[in-house]
Amino acid sequence: MSREERNMRAGDYVLGLMDETERARAERDLTIDAEFRDAVWSFASRLEALDGQAQEPVAEGLWSRIAAEVAGVTQQTRLELVRSDMAAAGVPLTPPDRHGALGLKRPMSGFFRGARGTALAATMLAACALGYVIGQASVTARDPEVVVVLLNEQDVPGALVEAYADDRVRILPLTDFEVPAGKVLEVWTLFDADVGPVSLGTMASSREAVLSGPDLPAPRPDQLYEITLEDAPRSSAGRPLGPILVKGLAVSPPR
Amino acid sequence: MEDCDTLMRRVAGGDRSALAAIFDLEAGRLIAIAKRIVRRRELAEEVVQEAFVTIWRKAALFDHERGAARAWMTTIVRHRALNIIRDGGRLDFHDADQLATLGDRAAEADTAYADLSEAEDLKRCLAQLEPERRRSIVMAYVVGFSHGEIAAHLGAPVGTVKAWIRRGVASLKECLS
Repeated sequence: MSREERNMRAGDYVLGLMDETERARAERDLTIDAEFRDAVWSFASRLEALDGQAQEPVAEGLWSRIAAEVAGVTQQTRLELVRSDMAAAGVPLTPPDRHGALGLKRPMSGFFRGARGTALAATMLAACALGYVIGQASVTARDPEVVVVLLNEQDVPGALVEAYADDRVRILPLTDFEVPAGKVLEVWTLFDADVGPVSLGTMASSREAVLSGPDLPAPRPDQLYEITLEDAPRSSAGRPLGPILVKGLAVSPPR
Repeated sequence: MEDCDTLMRRVAGGDRSALAAIFDLEAGRLIAIAKRIVRRRELAEEVVQEAFVTIWRKAALFDHERGAARAWMTTIVRHRALNIIRDGGRLDFHDADQLATLGDRAAEADTAYADLSEAEDLKRCLAQLEPERRRSIVMAYVVGFSHGEIAAHLGAPVGTVKAWIRRGVASLKECLS
């Protein structure tokens, strides 16, 4: 998405000029596209002055009606919200039922012992969904080379990674990784088994981040990415020492 | 007193009392915003009620790093209000009453612009726009006009209105940045 197009869509979204389909798409993009999000919220904040100082009296019972309704409503996690955005795009982000949608049997111990059936299928499904969304959000020369859904040991998506040809890596955590004091999240990739895992950088917390990794060959499908928990400031050995929190294999997003 | 961003972080953490505090701070303002769009007070309250339930349910989506809790809430309220009036069927442009109503609403939008303080960057930047671009943007934002309603009120083709808004938003963002 060009800067002009991004600003135009942000304008239509904030002004309320989108139809329902466009708006659903914009809201999906808001969850995953940091540049679009910036464009929307900076514009919305600037227009706030037009709301004026007007205050309407607040009816007596309004808060109690809201409180009563809210009492029966469970808050959704960020992961659930991103998932439902993905589902709205037509593809679920959750791993398929163990013997379900794709008719794949649960591999012995899943992804972590090398048998990759269900987890890989889930990764590819999710990456297709992601590609769909990113395709809407940012069709530019800066499209990621690969996208990766990193799964935890239960095959639940824990982070989305977009890896770019210029060595940048964007990480969108989908879960709150617990990072105790003195620890960091370190992101790794294995682009060559002979070289071993290479650090792409560290993150202090479960916040979206863009890392400018070292100069490596362009990321390829099936390349392994993982996030481990290491002692700050980073693994002293230059290879993963701490526990693997999530890992996944890259796929090329549909163009 | 805690600001909205701080309170919204607490809401995202499941704190209902923080939602109540946001309601106390913002409900009057949000009802006023909704009322400019839906016109009727009881509808505006309904919009705000639904918006607060959405805010509670989706608080995890609020962008903790960038803040902007007020803009986020305003957007939820405005979109809910727009859904209600647009579900109510499209405007019949040949209906004289409807056009008169459009006129009243457009006047309300003009007033919102006129009331902006001269010290506001937004006032300065809107003032630099060509009048029809400015009016189109302000009518869409303040009273929730669709492209079609703006076109009917200004007597211009819908395509022209879209181009005004597109160019107007681009200039406005440029000026405000």
